[in-house]
Amino acid sequence: MRFLAGLFLALMMALPAAAQAPPGPAKHVVVELVAERQGIAPGETIHIALRQQIQPHWHTYWRNSGDSGEPTQIKWTLPDGWQAGGFIWPTPVRIAVGPLMNYGYQGEVLLPMTLTAPANAKAGDKVTLKAAVSLLVCADVCVPEDAALTLTLPVTAATASEDPKWGDVIEAAVAAAPKPAALNAVFQPKGAGVALAVTGAVLKGADMAGAYFYPFESTVIDHAKPQTIERGPEGLTLTLSPGYAFQGGKAPASLAGVLAVGGKAYEIAASAGAPPASASGLGPPPLKVEGGDNLGLAAAALFAFLGGLILNLMPCVFPILAMKAASLAGHGGGDHGEAHRQGLAFGLGSVLTFLGLAAGLIALKAAGSAVGWGFQLQSPPVVAVLCLLMLAVALNLSGLFEVGTSLQGAGSGLASRGGSLGAFFTGALAVVVAAPCTAPFMGPALGWALTQTPAAALAVFLFLGLGFAAPFVLVAYAPGLLSRLPKPGAWMELFRKALAFPMYGAAAWLAWVLAQQAGPEDLAKLFAAGVVVGLAAWLAGLAQRRAALGGKPIVLTAGAGLLAALAVAAVVWPQDKAAELPTEPYSPARVAELRAQGRPVFVNYTAAWCVSCQVNDKVALSTHKVAQAFARHKVAYLKADWTKRDADIAAELAAHGRAGVPLYLVYGTKGGEGVILPSILTPDIVVKAVEAADKS
Amino acid sequence: MISRRTLLALAVSLGMTAPALAAPELGKPAPPFKAMDDKGHARSLSDFAGKTVVLEWTSSGCPYVGKHYGSGTMQALQKSETADGVVWLTISSSAPQMEGYFTAPTARAWASKQHWSGTALLLDSAGKIGREYGAKNTPHMFVIDKAGKVAYMGGIDDRPYADPESLKGAKPYVALALADLKAGRPVATPVSQPYGCAVRYGSAD
Repeated sequence: MRFLAGLFLALMMALPAAAQAPPGPAKHVVVELVAERQGIAPGETIHIALRQQIQPHWHTYWRNSGDSGEPTQIKWTLPDGWQAGGFIWPTPVRIAVGPLMNYGYQGEVLLPMTLTAPANAKAGDKVTLKAAVSLLVCADVCVPEDAALTLTLPVTAATASEDPKWGDVIEAAVAAAPKPAALNAVFQPKGAGVALAVTGAVLKGADMAGAYFYPFESTVIDHAKPQTIERGPEGLTLTLSPGYAFQGGKAPASLAGVLAVGGKAYEIAASAGAPPASASGLGPPPLKVEGGDNLGLAAAALFAFLGGLILNLMPCVFPILAMKAASLAGHGGGDHGEAHRQGLAFGLGSVLTFLGLAAGLIALKAAGSAVGWGFQLQSPPVVAVLCLLMLAVALNLSGLFEVGTSLQGAGSGLASRGGSLGAFFTGALAVVVAAPCTAPFMGPALGWALTQTPAAALAVFLFLGLGFAAPFVLVAYAPGLLSRLPKPGAWMELFRKALAFPMYGAAAWLAWVLAQQAGPEDLAKLFAAGVVVGLAAWLAGLAQRRAALGGKPIVLTAGAGLLAALAVAAVVWPQDKAAELPTEPYSPARVAELRAQGRPVFVNYTAAWCVSCQVNDKVALSTHKVAQAFARHKVAYLKADWTKRDADIAAELAAHGRAGVPLYLVYGTKGGEGVILPSILTPDIVVKAVEAADKS
Repeated sequence: MISRRTLLALAVSLGMTAPALAAPELGKPAPPFKAMDDKGHARSLSDFAGKTVVLEWTSSGCPYVGKHYGSGTMQALQKSETADGVVWLTISSSAPQMEGYFTAPTARAWASKQHWSGTALLLDSAGKIGREYGAKNTPHMFVIDKAGKVAYMGGIDDRPYADPESLKGAKPYVALALADLKAGRPVATPVSQPYGCAVRYGSAD
């Protein structure tokens, strides 16, 4: 009987433990409450934790769950005077779900919290703390799970000893959890993004690769978009994609969350404001190969030299390699003096350009601009001009025209007489285009250089330039190497023309870069300018051929120069913002509704691929005159976009005897058929039609 | 001219980036779309020009959707709003083999079981409409005003929890936005946190 009673008692005592970790196939998360100490003294605060063992491939959520999901919740039922704090959330991980991003935990996680005993708790008592946990656990599907947990702790007279199993683990979890660290954080909308600049002592020299901002609020950023990192001497700047909270021209009052950087995590609360200069300027973090923080000048110079060497092999330098190869081929077996001159000129060109870029960068940084390496490619006009330049070089390699040579010298191309200047500019061009390619070794060297005095920085850039130019100069000065190059001949012409294609590729790449920076309008302008450059190149070639035959093709040469200048001017000239008319999408129902309201209606049947439509939009419809007339007569402006097939629009076009766009219809206020405007519009035609419509 | 989307498609085809979600803008024209409904009719947003339109993303197995349908609050709102002339489009963007994927018959079965009371149930298993609107959750809600502009986007209320108990005292953002539009007032809370399960998009299409 005693034995049975004892067994019963043991079972009873085991029950709470069993309730803590209810196994069972239905659960995807096993939860239990664990404590840091084996007991708690009156008035004392200890840490306890909710332990989650999550089934593989499933996850639970952080306090901001990201794009979907829900954070784990705990509701306590505590005896009088006892207090439990909220979760001390560990830094979460990012869990991508299709195009969405969640913040949460996988595997095993401890969510620590504090537990405070009242001062009048009686030592020797056992206290039972009850908690209801509800959580959402998701894999491909989501399942809400609930658990009723208890934690039984003896009240001890003095601080109890550490729990052998959970003491260290909970302490480590609390120590690793994000904490405030006297960081200064500001945010500012910047273009389509939001710049979050964080500076502070703990960030100085921290490894910023993989830095990430986890916001507390789910509406402030677009969680799924990547965050770009720019380092600064005293911190970093993350460029975030704004979330719903930035809709409608608004901005949240603060951006609070956790900054995870260099294996640590800090709580930050950014207020609106201008980012300090010390939070940027050093470019993105280098590849995690070697630390660049403690480099000396000698090491940095060596790294820079190696980096420059390797830069010759980077993909975005490939077209330049093509040019150099074409140039080198010209020296094959021939004139060594000329080869020396060109080698030096190329080296000088690339070194001086590196120094020039570095000086520009240092000056801009000193002026407080947030620029990094490759800054010259961040300006759309520069990218557009470079793109045209690449196109021109490609056309030159294709043989459309020659540079610095008469037609007699054709075939020796860039390597011909007068080529020293050509070689110099080849070197300069190579550097400008190669600059955004950060090669291994270059990252740490540049990172170091930009935190040093201008003189030290320039020295590092000098070595970068030397490294970059070294292979070419070496070949030019090594008679053994030079004589191994094949003899010039007809094959060179073929080789040169083949090498035009990497250059066309470079032009295409720059056009893509511009499209990302500026958008379709500027891209269209660039393409138009490209066509004009092609025309100019052809005219220049024509002129050169005439000149070779003894003619004086002044008009042709001048025409080619003028066209080229025009093309460059077109892409550099700032665009004047035309008057944007408020439009709404077309539908037959909307037209009927607006007409029923007695408003004049202007319907523009258009398509993105229709050139005359775009011309009309620009020269007539986007003018202030038309905008004022539309406003004066309260004209409803509907756009029927036929860029993609649309049965409604096709039917309407057919009804007006048209097989395609453009078609401009103006409906009067008093009913009746729409008036068809001419296919070539002027502002006057539109204004008159609108005035008539308001009266009829 | 080349649209941003063409470039994006180019970038995707070059393996540069995963297809991202677009984000509609408050006060800007709602992106047009076309889809088949569960009855086999082609529906397009332009069919409803001049009317207030509600978009509701749904997924039959999602506990958050379950909270609003199990309690009947979603259907009640659908009923009262459609009676008021509001167009209510319920959209499923779950890809085949994903939770909540609807074929026309399974969609009809779900609708009749739930006593669903919207205007049309749109099948968007390719995720086209979902990506265009940046729909992240089920239920993710949008309200388009009579001028065709986005007037509200976000959660159906302010309680981002699966627990049906959380319905008590919730601030029904969508109902409030619709009431504001009817009264000709600016929408007091035009954006809120969308919440729920993730929309189960298929991989890159």
